[in-house]
Amino acid sequence: MTSVTKKKLMTTLKAYLFLAPFLALFILMVIYPIGLGAKLSLYGQRGARMWYVGFDNYFRIFQDKKFWEAFKIPAFLLFVQVPLMLLLATIVSLMFETRKRSGSVFRFIYYLPYCIPGIVAGIVWSYIFSDSMSPLKPLLQFFGYQGEKLLTRPNVPLILLIIILWEFTGYTAFVIYSSLISIPREYSEAAQLDGAGFWQIAFKIKIPLLKDVLITLFIFNAIGAIQVFNEPWMLGGLVVLPNNYTPAMYIYSSAFSQGRFTYAAAMGMILACVTFVFSLWVLRTAAKQLLGSKS
Amino acid sequence: MKRILVGILILLLLSSCASATDYYPEYTGEPVTLTMWAWTSNENYSIEEFEKVYPNIKVIWEDFGVHYDKAQTALAAGSGLPDVLMIEYSFAPQFMDLGAFQPINKWLDEETFVKLYGEASLGLCSMDGEIYGTPQDSGANALFYRKDIFDKYGLKVPTTWDEYAEQARKLKAAAPDLEFAAPPIGYALVWVGMIWGAGGKLFDYHDGNWYIDFTNPIAEEFFEFWGELFDEGILDLQMWWNPDWYSSLNEGKTATVIVGSWFGEWLRYNAPESAGQWRVAVPPFIRKGEEHNGMIGGSGFYVTSHCKNPEAAAIFVNWLNSHPDSLRCLHRYSNLPIMVSTRYEEILDEIAGPDEFFGGQNIVEELWHAHELVNTTFVALPIWSNMDSALSLLLQDYVDGKIQRFADILPVWEKQVIETMEEFGYTNLIVGELP
Repeated sequence: MTSVTKKKLMTTLKAYLFLAPFLALFILMVIYPIGLGAKLSLYGQRGARMWYVGFDNYFRIFQDKKFWEAFKIPAFLLFVQVPLMLLLATIVSLMFETRKRSGSVFRFIYYLPYCIPGIVAGIVWSYIFSDSMSPLKPLLQFFGYQGEKLLTRPNVPLILLIIILWEFTGYTAFVIYSSLISIPREYSEAAQLDGAGFWQIAFKIKIPLLKDVLITLFIFNAIGAIQVFNEPWMLGGLVVLPNNYTPAMYIYSSAFSQGRFTYAAAMGMILACVTFVFSLWVLRTAAKQLLGSKS
Repeated sequence: MKRILVGILILLLLSSCASATDYYPEYTGEPVTLTMWAWTSNENYSIEEFEKVYPNIKVIWEDFGVHYDKAQTALAAGSGLPDVLMIEYSFAPQFMDLGAFQPINKWLDEETFVKLYGEASLGLCSMDGEIYGTPQDSGANALFYRKDIFDKYGLKVPTTWDEYAEQARKLKAAAPDLEFAAPPIGYALVWVGMIWGAGGKLFDYHDGNWYIDFTNPIAEEFFEFWGELFDEGILDLQMWWNPDWYSSLNEGKTATVIVGSWFGEWLRYNAPESAGQWRVAVPPFIRKGEEHNGMIGGSGFYVTSHCKNPEAAAIFVNWLNSHPDSLRCLHRYSNLPIMVSTRYEEILDEIAGPDEFFGGQNIVEELWHAHELVNTTFVALPIWSNMDSALSLLLQDYVDGKIQRFADILPVWEKQVIETMEEFGYTNLIVGELP
């Protein structure tokens, strides 16, 4: 009896030993900053002076139109870019599956953009859309488009869409592909025998089985959309974007260029809550749907 | 009697000592190492010279580029600022107001400061009678122009704003593809600096109050002037400091730029393909006879509140920015065209001469003249970054057609600035007048 509990204890200890490097960094770099941020958000601050204000910062944020307006771009990305990307990625992954041999080359090519840091991609893309260097301009002029600027403020959401699709579609397709190949081949073979075509098998059999991974990917990308920063920040060098273009940009400029760190900390907490509640909601409703479809 | 005599003698000796040590007192404290953040290139040559004179003070120089975000963070954290911080004059009040600096009046009194840097510089480095640092380079407005474009289209270097508009129209008619000038979308330094050059200002600080008046006659006249050129499509606004702008300067698509004197250094490094084409001139005056100038940028070196040895830091910033040995290095290695210190005049003859990048023009002489015309000063608002982004958005709105008349920007900008001041808790505002 005691030896069993001892064994159990040893296993747990071992597990924690292996987890230790991660846990130490996780506590130091994630948990501790969150705690510190939560504490800071309860203070007023000017320069090095700080004083306790309770929930004043939060009350002010709820009345701060600039903060809530900043969610326009994340909402656009959430409802347009993320679904579009999942659709594209699914199609691409189905294509990967049909090319068993040469597939690895395509997978490599599609995966490459993901290896480029967002900031670098932002710089390169801002050149691509810039007025004087854009390689697209001669192309557009060839098709009769006359010299208007590409990178204007109204065009920025569209440009963001292109950049982010370029960055993450390949990676997402890669993830979907990896669970696609784990689907037992008997299913599609059986369907084939019953006379189902390629797209029928894809939409009726494979995609429903991919639901779990698609939901996970949706949540990951939704979090990315809500916290989008790098790409609009880089474009901001070529076209004037308001400092509240996205919530993360507003938080950054409040803290670092205006020196309102505690207010920014409070906004950070709210942004984290928004992200968390949204993810939870998606998981809950999605889980219900999954249960519904199983029964 | 003897005692009194001795006393008088000692007093005499002391006073003569004070004048003999002149501006650079001896450092008698413990050996110390100072840290400094600055983005001037090759600052190390001046530091080497300084360490020869003051062997007990070592200076470690770090260059993070424009480090305002980093400095704000260190300031809020309560530790981590270096001993000496380079800050642009317009951003300095923001940092003064946040308590980032400490006064150095004990080691550099107002009289000495005025002797070394001139009366007009007080507004750049001090507030409420406290001196926080010393000014390095001059941001005196200058007109940078492309000689090749001017020659090709027979343009004349304008000396008044009317002539400036005339030349702009002339170039537009002759070469619609070229820009006579492309003032910045945003970058409030330029707009505030040009109004300053016309003898005006938008704000100031005096006796504990902040004064704000964006719609004063000079500012309005000035915005009307630009508005006419933009509304008629003679000139376009452009966003600065990005690849589009760099290439337009490099390839000769823009004929003139009005900006601070330090731009001479910037052009040399960032538009190498345009070598030999640029010239400089004193910028146009608002009217004939009204000859004064303002500044766009330029930076001071301030002693921070985190500095443990302000005496050494004060000695250093004063020596760095006024001693001829240092100024010589700053000119030769850092390529700063004009330094603020009055002692720059002592080495002017020695360093002034033909400059190859500027087609052999003696730019130091021309820019020194532009600098000497700066005869007014004021304290910038302590919310420069907010003021700057407010203007950027309004100018972008104008470019996008959301604001019809250019001059309408001023009152809206003023309103937003006042709102921000109030939001940040400044109750000592006086709106609609200037001291």
